[in-house]
Amino acid sequence: MNIPGLHFLYLLVVIFLMLPASLACTEPPKRIISLAPNLTEILYAAGLGEKVVGVTAFCDKPEEAKKNPKVGGMSNPSLESIVSLNPDIVVLTTDGNLREFEERLRSLMIRTYVFKARRISELPGGIRDMGSALGEKEKANYLAREIEAGIRKFSVSLQHPVKKKVLFIIWPEPLIVAGPGTAIDEAITLLGHENIASHSVVSYPKYSIEAVIRQSPDVIFIGKGHIQIKEMSGGLLKKIASVPAVKNKKIFFLGDDLYRMGPGIVKGIGEMSACLN
Amino acid sequence: MSSEHNQTILELAGTGFRYSGNKPLIKDLTFSVGNGEFIGLLGANGSGKSTILKLAGGILKPSDGHINLWGKQLGSYSNKDRAKLLCYLPQLLDMNIPFKVGELVSMGLYPYDIPPEISVDDALALVGLLDKSGSYLANLSGGERRRAFIAMTLLQGAGLLLLDEPLANLDIKYQLEIHRLLKDLKDTKNISVIMALHDINMALQFKKVMLIKEGKILGIGEPENVLKRELLKEAFDVDIEVRKQNGGGTWLSYGESS
Amino acid sequence: MPKLKILLLTLISSLILLSSLFFGQNTINPFDLRGAEKDILFSIRLPRVIVAFLMGSALGVSGAVLQGMLRNPLADPYILGISSGAALAAAFGLVTGSYLFGQLSIPFSAFFGASVVSVLVGAFGWKKGRLLPERLLLAGVGLSFLFYALLMLLISMSSYEGVRRTMLWIFGDLSLADWSLIPYGLVFIIAGMYISVCRSKALNALMLGDDLAHSLGFSAHRERLLFFISVALMTSASVSLGGTIGFIGLLVPHIVRFIIGADNRIVIPVCAVSGGAFLCGADLIGRSIAPPMEIPSGIITAVIGSPYFLYLLRKRDVLGT
Repeated sequence: MNIPGLHFLYLLVVIFLMLPASLACTEPPKRIISLAPNLTEILYAAGLGEKVVGVTAFCDKPEEAKKNPKVGGMSNPSLESIVSLNPDIVVLTTDGNLREFEERLRSLMIRTYVFKARRISELPGGIRDMGSALGEKEKANYLAREIEAGIRKFSVSLQHPVKKKVLFIIWPEPLIVAGPGTAIDEAITLLGHENIASHSVVSYPKYSIEAVIRQSPDVIFIGKGHIQIKEMSGGLLKKIASVPAVKNKKIFFLGDDLYRMGPGIVKGIGEMSACLN
Repeated sequence: MSSEHNQTILELAGTGFRYSGNKPLIKDLTFSVGNGEFIGLLGANGSGKSTILKLAGGILKPSDGHINLWGKQLGSYSNKDRAKLLCYLPQLLDMNIPFKVGELVSMGLYPYDIPPEISVDDALALVGLLDKSGSYLANLSGGERRRAFIAMTLLQGAGLLLLDEPLANLDIKYQLEIHRLLKDLKDTKNISVIMALHDINMALQFKKVMLIKEGKILGIGEPENVLKRELLKEAFDVDIEVRKQNGGGTWLSYGESS
Repeated sequence: MPKLKILLLTLISSLILLSSLFFGQNTINPFDLRGAEKDILFSIRLPRVIVAFLMGSALGVSGAVLQGMLRNPLADPYILGISSGAALAAAFGLVTGSYLFGQLSIPFSAFFGASVVSVLVGAFGWKKGRLLPERLLLAGVGLSFLFYALLMLLISMSSYEGVRRTMLWIFGDLSLADWSLIPYGLVFIIAGMYISVCRSKALNALMLGDDLAHSLGFSAHRERLLFFISVALMTSASVSLGGTIGFIGLLVPHIVRFIIGADNRIVIPVCAVSGGAFLCGADLIGRSIAPPMEIPSGIITAVIGSPYFLYLLRKRDVLGT
């Protein structure tokens, strides 16, 4: 019996068994395709922009992101384009991307990561989790901490303000507002105020103008969904002229930072906070 | 031809008709209808009977010749005025008309701004449908429906009725009923009728028949003179002879086709 | 007694109208109008009810006229494809957010789209100087397919929000009702209705068939053209006021004829009143089921309408018609 030979054989077997596992674990993806605008923003904000090789047609922030090849929309990306870009991983969300598509990607042996955070409170955790999957824990952690600090800054001011009644209008005609389960609703609550549409059944309900008059909001935010949003809102504002928000001229036009669950959230909360105080 | 009748209501002279670009359906048609005349328009299917009636009714415009109604060009009458003078009933009466009998008959008043003296009930009584005034047309028998339309024409008060195969698809009972009704109307109200038919037996009942083939008149006059063997052969492509019975009736004898 | 039935229908319609003014998510007391309540009543409810009534009347009358003119009990104002043209044009405006005509952009676009299709359908249906019913129907159906395909193309290319706004409009959006919109709608709808009411005898005659209509002293082709114009005006105005709300044009004439008979001299005015009330009622329901969310009235009319429509089909079967 050749004892050293046996040991050597044993070592070979162990190495052989560990090889696939190690290959799977340790290689951080170098080519990332993002199928959601908020994920694209997060990736760039975390300094991973170089690794992004494909984005959706809706990924318009930051500017550099637009230079990437486009693979289609959120709900109907082109499988061919994705495959031809030879990604190491494709990142998707649960809000806007289709689960069936994610399953198809996996069945084609393409690695995927599903970003699950849908609330502001879940955002830092979600970023860290994605950072882990991408093998970039440090950068992700840095970004997550930044966001946490930003949120903390605004929620600190919870003690003193008078609770105001707030309405966030996504679109004036037909009247569509931000209801429960939206980042906007969360932001309003975070800042210590009340979203008058928070008892709606769906997240972005078509709201009754009558109800707005009756609920008399103190502050109205209008999301800048369109260049001429100010003119377009004129008709609606005339109809609700009797509510305190209109009478006291507390109508604010906000950017669309709060529409995306990404690094812009902090800016959005900041904007909102400034207007409310 | 119409020596016992004093007035000519409708006159066709050299009338021809074709759909644009197609070959003529009617060529050089000349005949007239007088007051109180009862004419049977006999011919095979597709011989042009409907076309002639539609020309006479102003539904189709002649490509050649002219048509005069009471001495004036047919085309020169306004729709309403023409409707007061003549009336056309098509062969096929839609079963799905949602009106009631009374409603339908009262439509005969449409050409008038001032309604004439006859009332809806009068007209219904004349055709024997007074008890069906509130029934839906769709629920009547074929014969009753036909009678309802005739009541409508009565209300319309037209002096000339152009009826396209009003007896088609009716049981013999109803055929005779309507024929008798029309004859009564002619007798009592001096209404003129041109009736298209392709049943030779029925044609024998008329005082005056017009035999048509391919839009041309083969003969006009009393049945004995017009419904001769050669002419019938030409019109229907069958060997038929009208034989007289000793009792005065007539019957048709079918020979062997050549 | 027909007069009694007409009176009853008018009474019920007025009741529905008043209900939709004063009921809803909250009840407004007409004798106690303070501040906000007064605003709500005059700036929001009143224009909305007026628009709903106008739309419902226009659709009811259009349905009655088309069913008579085409001799087809299943005819509906949208069979001429007008709704598809309006939907495409409005969708374009909603998706791109165009603001060319200010507040009235969407209604104007819808009206433009509706008019274009009306003219196209009329042109295709025209042969040898007359409008032929079969050609009109086929042209309407064909153009509908085309425009809806284009609409689907537009939708597939737009953002989620654009799609949502489009869908809400297509199912009927009376929340866009505004005093500034009403005069335009009123003009076209009244014009169309006037033509139809004046020619209602002709419509009766047309229902008997072209030849019989001619015999009764009407030019079938001219009447058909007039009715087509009338329906095009009313339907185009109606969809521009508040989207494509279906079933009213199809069902209201049937119900009215069932109660009152088929004489269009009565059917048309009654359809106007009943159609208007029907839509007001549907809107009231849509506003009150899950407040403050508003369910588009087109969904309510469809939910009420489809079972009744199926029931109608069965009934006709039983009658053997």
